[in-house]
Parts: sequence; structure tokens; C-alpha cells
Amino acid sequence: MAKYIFKRLGTSLLTLLIILTVVFVLVRQMPIEGYFDNFDKLDQAVIDARLNQLGLKDPILVQLKDFFVGLLHGDLGNSARYSVGVPITAIIANKAPLSITLGVISMAISLILGIPLGAAMAKSKSGFWDKFGTVFIVFISAVPSAVYYIYIQSFGSSLLGFPMLFNRDDWRTWILPIFSMSLGNIAYYAMWLRRYMVDEMNKDYVRLARAKGVKGSEITMRHVFRNSFVPMIQYIPTSLLYTVSGSIYIESLYSVPGMGGLLVDVITRQDNPMVQALVMIYSSIGIIGMILGDLLMVVIDPRISLARKESSR
Amino acid sequence: MSNIILSVEGLNVKFSLRGKVLHAIRDVSLDLYEGETLAIVGESGSGKSVLTKTFMGLLDTNGWIESGRILYQGKDLAQYQTEKEWLTIRGREIAMVLQDPMTSLNPLKTVGAQIEEALRLHRGLRGREAKAKVAELLTDVGIGDPERRMRQYPHEFSGGMRQRVIIAIALACNPKILICDEPTTALDVTIQAQIIRLIYDLVHKYRITAIYITHDLGVVANVADRVAVMYAGDIVEIGTCREVFYEPCHPYTWALLSSLPQLGVKGEELFTIKGTPPNLFHQVVGDAFAPRNPQALEADYIERPPFFEVSPTHKARTWLLDERAPRITPPKALERLKKVGKP
Repeated sequence: MAKYIFKRLGTSLLTLLIILTVVFVLVRQMPIEGYFDNFDKLDQAVIDARLNQLGLKDPILVQLKDFFVGLLHGDLGNSARYSVGVPITAIIANKAPLSITLGVISMAISLILGIPLGAAMAKSKSGFWDKFGTVFIVFISAVPSAVYYIYIQSFGSSLLGFPMLFNRDDWRTWILPIFSMSLGNIAYYAMWLRRYMVDEMNKDYVRLARAKGVKGSEITMRHVFRNSFVPMIQYIPTSLLYTVSGSIYIESLYSVPGMGGLLVDVITRQDNPMVQALVMIYSSIGIIGMILGDLLMVVIDPRISLARKESSR
Repeated sequence: MSNIILSVEGLNVKFSLRGKVLHAIRDVSLDLYEGETLAIVGESGSGKSVLTKTFMGLLDTNGWIESGRILYQGKDLAQYQTEKEWLTIRGREIAMVLQDPMTSLNPLKTVGAQIEEALRLHRGLRGREAKAKVAELLTDVGIGDPERRMRQYPHEFSGGMRQRVIIAIALACNPKILICDEPTTALDVTIQAQIIRLIYDLVHKYRITAIYITHDLGVVANVADRVAVMYAGDIVEIGTCREVFYEPCHPYTWALLSSLPQLGVKGEELFTIKGTPPNLFHQVVGDAFAPRNPQALEADYIERPPFFEVSPTHKARTWLLDERAPRITPPKALERLKKVGKP
């Protein structure tokens, strides 16, 4: 197992290296106008000086070398345009914890609500919960999220009296953004769990369990539920990542000072060091998420062995 | 013969499929005697499995018992509705070995845990006591090194070994009746004989009444005391193994036995039954086999034949046994069955 993890980490490092190089080269293909707010009015000399200062005049290989050397020393560089001169680590350290906290809470809620909903749907096939859940899932998938986000915000604040804007120190302001973030995942988990549970319920081992006299509720708990979780568990770490990085709209709607929209923001402003740093962080989380997902599968499913080929068959 | 342990009277089972009603079991009556091994043979779709599933309340949700009784220990199982009622029967009184061992075990639980589950439910064993019993059962079904094997998962077992585990689970329930639903169909031929032998030995060791469902007449001849031949949801002939094989009375049984490859003559085509079984979505009139029987009588198309008693243990549903019927003798080929011996 340890050997497998090392191997995975090794290949992951290589993947990360390739991603970074590609992104590094790509952002440098952007038009230089993007580095200035008033490009037309500037002298060539001023422009050159500024580009020199940004390090964009060096041959690209030299720039790449400088970047990786800096990285090895734990230096992500300074923001070039987003908030000029501030170390990127400081910017992220200021924003990331909030986004991650929101994401984790929202994930927990999605699991707590989505899983029982999916299970209830599978159990009551075409009964009340199944119909209720189907309506909910179809609604969430069909209606653009931006639409119901706005409704949640306006109804939540006007009818229920929750504050419109986010404030770190007031717990009541956390409720609406977290609720909005969770809806999609609740529907997603419920949908997949229902599907996998119905799959499992029709399997022979469930029939055998019934034939040996196990109670229906016990079959669901001891046999079906765990088995249908195997294909889902792999995606949970990755799904956390999407929740953290993907809440651009919600964060802007409630003015949450998180890092949801940060990447898009720095790309439009051509803040190359920030883009590189964020891409690196997101890719790392993504890769780690996938490794974690695979490891979780191994923990829960004895058939999956990562270290060696199956020995007896 | 010994006591009747389970008695089926006039059982009718129907299924609703795509808005139509399928009459899967048509007025079947059957007595099962304590300690015997009964084989139910018949082609796919003849209702073998459905019949035995009704004994355990395991019909699919679109199926129901239309009428009839299933008497077991003074109770009518055909009246059972709730899960609670069935839990007094399933495993505890009647256990089942399913067809496909590759999929019949939960892949995420150790073999030991799955046997233990049955022990906990039906014998109230837990902890060390249960573990010891698991080891005993595994040894019983011929799995060596049980202490290690019980901690392994199903994927670490071969098909034959998994079927042994499933048999161990059935035994763990301590049932009075064991239903083996085509227990060897999914296994390869060399393993089949071993599993058959194993079930035979254990059934006798623990004095369990057994029902075999099978297409394999060879299996029947080796293990069964009695044979019931099913066709289109009905039992057409029932008797001891010897009676059904050597003195068959029903034209369907003749046809079935004639198609045994052992009876083929080198250079000649093997015998096949022409046509297809009747569509059970429609009402069957008369003898269900008549349309495929070249020697069918007129009466066969008009009225369903009753059971004629050939001997106290041998009955067949065919008008040929009526005193007014013309004498039609079984095909010559069946004579060879006596020479070949057991099919």
C-alpha cells in the first residue's frame, strides 16, 4: 500500500509539473496590452520598463527556470496586478480558510441530507419519497442554479429575515450561502445513491440474504447501503474540491471574501504569478482528492487491491 | 412412506407483466415427504423456480398467489402476507441454495461474516461460539483451513468453493427443507459432480428434506428419491426415480427422456421436441403439451386430464391412462434407457 501511494505521488508530481509548464507558457502568450490599464497612452519606454519589471522580457525558458527555482524555495512570488506586490501566499492564506470552511460545512450537509434522501427513494421505489426526490432532483438539475440562488437570497432575507450579506462573525449570515451551495450536491448524491442502491437491491446476494431470513431493513443497512456506497465514495474528495472552488456565484452574491472567483478574476487581469499559483493549488487538491478517493475505495471494498494483481481467482 | 412435511394444494400463481396476466403455476398439488429428496425437472419457464419460491414468500413483487394452499406444520403459507410472518419460515424452516454462486455472496463481507449472520438469526450464536460453528460448517462443506478461509472475501474463492459456502450458509440456518435451485448450472462439469455429492451427503447427514430444481436429468437420477416433471406451470408426472425413468407415462416425459443425448444413435440426429411451450398469457385448454405431441388425442385438446394413479407412488396427468384411450406405447428409444442405466 505504501509503495502504491509513493508511486501515485510520483506520477502526480509529474502531472503537476506538466500542468504548471503548460499554464506557464500559455499565460505568456497573452497580448501584452492586458498588463496595462491604459496601454494606448503609455510610452514605449514605460511599457518596456514595466514588462522588464514583471520579468516578461527574459527568454521564456529562463522565466520558467526562475519560476520553478522559486517554487522549490516555497516562494509563489508576489501578485503582479491583483494587489500589487503582496506575496501570493498571504493573499491565499487570507481567503482560502473561509472558502474551505464553507465548502466543508456544505459538503457535510449535502451528505447528511442527500444520502438519507437517496436511500429513502430507493426503498420507496415509486412511493412518496421517490416522487418527492425525483421532483427535487429534476428541479435542481433543470433550473439554472443562478435562478434559484437569487430566489433563495431574496426570499431568505425578505421572508425569513436572514441577512443579505455575509459576515464572518454572524452565524445567521452563513445559513443562506451554505444552503445554496448544498442544494446541487444533495440532489447529486441522492440521485446516484438511489441508482446504485436499486442496482444492488436486484442482485443475487440480496435474494440470498432474504432467503436466509434477514429482515428487509437489515438487508438495506448491512448489505445494500454499504455496497452501493463504493462507486460513490471515490468522488467525494473531488466533489469537495468543486464545492470549494466552484462557488464563484454564491460568493459574489453574498459578498463572501473567499477564493471562489479568484482564479477567474486573476486570469482576466493577467496576473500571471497568481494564475500559476492558483492553478498549482487547485491541481494539487484535485490530484490529492483523486488519490484519496481511490484509497477510500480500497478501504471499503476488499476486492480492490491497488498494490498487486488479484492472487486467486 | 414417512410423514408429509409440506403439502401444496391447488396452487395457482399469477404474474402481471406489462399489463397482462401470466398464469405461471396452474393448479399444482404436491406432497413433500419428510426426509425425501424430490427433484423437479422441466424446461426453462415451466415454473419450477416459481413454485418453490412461493414456499418462502420470495415471489417477485409483480407475482401473487391466486388461490390454493401451502400447508406446512399446520399453517397455510399461502396466506402469509407480512415480512414478519415469512421471517418465521425463511432460513429457519426452509433454506435455499441459489443458482449462481458467483453473484450470490455479498462481495464486501467476509465469508465468515455471511455464515455468521445466519447463525445469529437462527441459532442465536454470537462471538467465539459462532466462530467455532462457522469453522465447523466450513469443514462440513469441505473447505480446508477454515480459520483462515472464514476471514477471506468471496472473490478469493472459486465458483465451486463459493457454492460450498452458500451451502454452509443454508446449513447454518438449520432448516428442515432445503431448496436447491439449479445448484450446479453455473459450475463447470468437474465441479458439478462434487457439489451434487456434497449436497447429497449433507442432506442425509442432517436429515434434511431436499427439493432439487434442475434441467439435468443425470443429477436427478443420482440424488433424487422422487421426480416431478413440470410442463407449462403444471406437474404432469410424478413418481419415484425408477418409475419416471423406466416406466414413464406422460408423452411429455417420453419426449423429455428421448432427448437425452445418451440415447442418441451414432450417425442419427438427436431427438428434439418440436414446437414451443404454450404462451401462459393465454388460457391453456386441455393438455398443455398436446400441440407439440404428434400422437395427441382429441380429448387432449378439450379437457385437462386428471391425475391417473399408475401405482401408489406414481401419477401422471394424461388421457392415455384412461381406460377409453387407445394404446399408445412409449417411443422405442426409451427401451435403451434401461440398458444405459442411469441417464
